[in-house]
Parts: sequence; structure tokens; C-alpha cells
Amino acid sequence: MFLENVRTALNALFSNRMRSLLTLLGVVIGVFAVTTTISMGAIATAGITGELEDFGSQKIIVFTPRDKPLAPNFSDDDIEALSRLPLIVQKTQDAAGFAKYDDKEIQISLSGTSADTADTKIASGRMYNNQDEVYASNVIVLTQDAVNNLFDKDVDPLGKEISLTIANSRTSFTVIGIEEKSGGLLGVGTGDGGTIPLSSFYSVVPYAKKGEYGYLPMQVDLDANVDDLVAQVKSILERRREKDSFSVNTIKGILDTFGTITKILQTILGGIGAVSLLVGGIGILNIMLVSVTERTREIGLRKALGAKKNVIMQQFMIEAIVLTVIGGIIGVIVSIASLYLIVAVVPFLDKVIISPMVILMAFGVSVVTGIVFGVWPASRAASLSPIEALRFE
Amino acid sequence: MSTVIEAKGIKKIYTLEGGLKVHALNGLDLVVENGQYAAIMGPSGSGKSTLLQILGCLDTPSEGSYKLAGQEVADLTEDELSGIRNQRIGFIFQAYNLLGRSTALQNVALPLMYRGTKAKERTRLAKEALERVGLADRMGHQPNQLSGGQKQRVAIARALATDPDILLADEPTGNLDSKTGDEILGLFQELHEEGRTILMVTHEEEVATHCQKIIRIRDGVVERIEEVKDRQMAVFTGDIP
Repeated sequence: MFLENVRTALNALFSNRMRSLLTLLGVVIGVFAVTTTISMGAIATAGITGELEDFGSQKIIVFTPRDKPLAPNFSDDDIEALSRLPLIVQKTQDAAGFAKYDDKEIQISLSGTSADTADTKIASGRMYNNQDEVYASNVIVLTQDAVNNLFDKDVDPLGKEISLTIANSRTSFTVIGIEEKSGGLLGVGTGDGGTIPLSSFYSVVPYAKKGEYGYLPMQVDLDANVDDLVAQVKSILERRREKDSFSVNTIKGILDTFGTITKILQTILGGIGAVSLLVGGIGILNIMLVSVTERTREIGLRKALGAKKNVIMQQFMIEAIVLTVIGGIIGVIVSIASLYLIVAVVPFLDKVIISPMVILMAFGVSVVTGIVFGVWPASRAASLSPIEALRFE
Repeated sequence: MSTVIEAKGIKKIYTLEGGLKVHALNGLDLVVENGQYAAIMGPSGSGKSTLLQILGCLDTPSEGSYKLAGQEVADLTEDELSGIRNQRIGFIFQAYNLLGRSTALQNVALPLMYRGTKAKERTRLAKEALERVGLADRMGHQPNQLSGGQKQRVAIARALATDPDILLADEPTGNLDSKTGDEILGLFQELHEEGRTILMVTHEEEVATHCQKIIRIRDGVVERIEEVKDRQMAVFTGDIP
């Protein structure tokens, strides 16, 4: 009898293709919406914070405090003093300007970093070297974003001359390298940027103050004790500068301040996930309820012809399971496909994160909702006397 | 002759929305002998369809006793009633009540499935029943590809497929033209001659004269039972448009 009922159920599904497809669609959309929104949340969070967590935790940065605009910049002597510690202090200055190639011009954030302290990772071409530094060569390493915006796709940027305009003075620079792009909205190597030797920076940026640094990024060995180093940096600088005229941060510390933001983000995304789960569930509930209630007459007829209640329930149970499971699987597949598509298209997202928990939850809730609300109205209809069910409009 | 249907003091009370109570049957008594071919007649609202549904175990009386072949129906569970409907009764609805998306053959085979008949045997019996009503060439058609008379014959074939001893028909000719109606009545005559008990609700005197008896119902009770004199004998030719 069970196999007969499977056949009956499949028959009912196939002979009412439109109704089955619509119900299926309801389940697909429910599962798709839930899986995609929740996964998108995880992917976006990783996109924002992922890079910092992966690579950035071993960096110390000293700033002048924002509430002390008159605090003096850091000097070469400060750097000299810090060099006793097992870390590399980057000599770096920043400026904003314009880069032009052919008829394309973009705004660019330029940084001059001395060759011996730079830790720029190169994707193609080369990094400038000490010789470039000594001769103040007009060479530049561009970020991938800057390359994309400045050059046409079929142009190889390496060796090309671009012109940099900073404070109305224009200079030609040769592109020698492309910086490796790491993931993360806040990660290094993103945005339209370029790095040039510090000596070149001094010669092309009219307002550059030689030997003064607004901030000091320091590379720390991965196995170093960061907290220890932070304390030592503090004590060295305290002897050289006024108290409160600087602040020592680690990327991890910066990340912690971002932590609040990402926590809010995650809460919001979790909320969206919960709402989409609810909406998806109600959608499935609705379509099941309607499509089964609509069949009250059919149920009455089957009973009139001698079907026992359990047999009818079984048939509707099988129909609901078939529809929700197939719909659920399609929903998950479509969702995974679109997540890959979204990650491929959106620049700062680079990793598809699909948690099995999310899939299980979306799938489970949809299937259970589908079965409950496929079987419950059928049970209600099967409890009516056949004539009442047949009279149902 | 043995008694197949024995109803005593049957009441059926419907409560309408708003609480108004309608007494469709009002203490009705009826005895039907085995093999009888009778028409149930009465003005609209007299309760004739309700009676037929209760006799067919599609509905239960609010009060009173209904014995089918000696078995008190009120003592049966829902599932046992399903069994009785499947085994003993063939019910022919005025509105045919066919599954719209299933073929004639599937429709006729449906009650056999609920009886547990194997698929092959089911198809064989369903084909036989359809051939019997002259629809051998329409087995694969869905109801929307069939005329009213053909649909009614599919419904009759479905009622016959289980070989029931009681046939209950609610206005079986109500939606049909007179020629098609006569064919259906000819089929009923054949079924009657096979010894089946047939009760048929109708509002047409002419149709009722094909039966042995006319049970007249008024205000939810049996007013009188008439013997039909000059009984018409329709002949089934299988030639239905």
C-alpha cells in the first residue's frame, strides 16, 4: 500500500504540474533566501575584517593622537631610537594626487616609503630597491585597483609612463610593479594607490617635510611578543616626547574597535537571517496551506471511494516530502551558485563561506514547515465526512 | 427477500452559520429489500439527497438507527465506514466528481486501489468496467476531453468497478439530454437484472417510471411508497454521444 501511495502521490504531483511547480518554487525561494542572506552576512563580515585578522595582527602603529593636533610629528631620531627593538620602523609619508595615463586620470593616494623599510608585497613586476631610493628614481608600484582604473584591460602597465600631479606639479613615473592585493575592505593593497621611494616622494611632493612622519608603522616578527614590544615602544617614546603626544596601537587593537561595528553588523545580519527564515517559512506555509486546502474536494472524493484517513495522510505526506526536499535541494544549489557569483562580482569579497549549519537550518525549517502545513490541512480535510469535504468550496 | 437497508427515525440536522438549525431529515423510516430498484423523489429541500448520502455512508445521521445489511452503521469507525463505502456501495454523484487531471482509466481504478487490488488486476477490472459502459475507446481521456454523458458513464464505471451490491445514484440523468439519459437508465436496468440494489434520486417522474418503486419524500420523512405500474424498460445500446 505504501508503494501504491508513493505512486499516487507522484501521480498527483505530475498531473498537476503547475501547482507542483508553484509549490516547489515557494520552497526554493524560501530556502534560497535564507541560505543566501545568512551566508552573505558571514561573507561580508569576513570581507571587512578577514584580512586584518589574517595578516595584520603583527603590526604596531604609533600615531599622534587625534585630539592633540599640535603634537609634533615623529622624527628620524625617534625612528633611530626605536630601531634598538626587534622591529622594522617604516619611514613613510602620504600625499594625495592625480595619476594620468593616456586620457584616463584618477585620484590616487600616494605613499613614499623608503626602500629598506617597505614591506610591500609584489604581485607582478618588481619592488623598487635601494638604488632607486638613492637616485630618487621616478618609479612607482601601483595597487591592482589603480591599475584597473588607469589602464585598459589589454594594456600591460609594467614599464608604462604615467604622470603624477601633486599640488600642481607634474612628474612622469614609470610603473615597475603591481602590489599584491589582499582581501578585506580595510586590507592593504586596496583602493587607488601607489608607492614610490621616499626620496622621490620628497622631490615630487612640494609640501613634504623631510624627516617628519605623521605615523610610524612597525613590522613585528610573527613570533614576537607584541604586548611586550608595545610597552617598550611606549617607554622609549615617553622618554623622548611629551606624555599623551602619541598613541601606540596594534592592528589587533584597531580591530577591537572595529569589533563593535562588526558585532552590530553581525547582529543585524542575524536579524535579517531570522526574518528571512520567518518569511521563507510563512511563504512555504502559505503555498502548502492553499494548495492542500484547495484539494479538500479531492480528499472528500478519495474518502468517498473508500480511502482510509491514514492512507490519505500518507499520500499528502509523501507529496509534501517530495516537494520540499526537491525544492530545498534546488534552493541550496541556487543559493551556493549565486554566492559564488556575488563573490566573483563584488570586489572586496573574496571568499565564499557557506556554513553547513546555515544550510541545515534553512533546509530543515523549510522541509518541516512544508510537511507540517502540507499534512495538517490534509488531516483536517480527511477528518470531515466525505460529503462535507465534497461540498467544500 | 432479505432486507439490505433498514433506517429508523433518521434525523439529520444542519446548523447554518448564524446558528439556524435546518432539519433535512426528520425521523425518517425506510426499509429496502435486497435487489430492489427504487427511485427517491420529492420536492427540492425535502431531504432526498441527504438521505441518499446517509444511506451511502458518506454522512452520518444526527439521530436514529441505520442498519446496512444488519450492521448498525453508528457503531462503525471512520475507517470501517471507508471500508463499507469501498466494498459494498457504488455511489454515483450528480456532479460526476471525477479527478480532473486523471484519465478515465485512472479514475475508475481509484476505488480498487483503496481496496488493495494489485495494479495489473486493477487495470483489468477498470478496463472491463469502462468497456461495459461503452467507453473502451476513451480510457486514456481526461474528464475535460469527455462529454457529460461520457463523464457520467466514467462515474458509473467507477461505481461498478468494485462490483458493489448497492448502487446509489444522485440525479444520474440530471445533467444529460433525454437520449443519453435513456441509455444510462438502460444500463441501470441491466445492473438491476444482475440483482443489485439500486436507489436513484430523481425529480423527473418519467425517469422514476423506470424503477420498480417510487419512494416519495416530503419534509424529511417518507410520505409514501408507490409501486410503478407500466414500468418502462430502457435498453442500453452503448450508443451514447
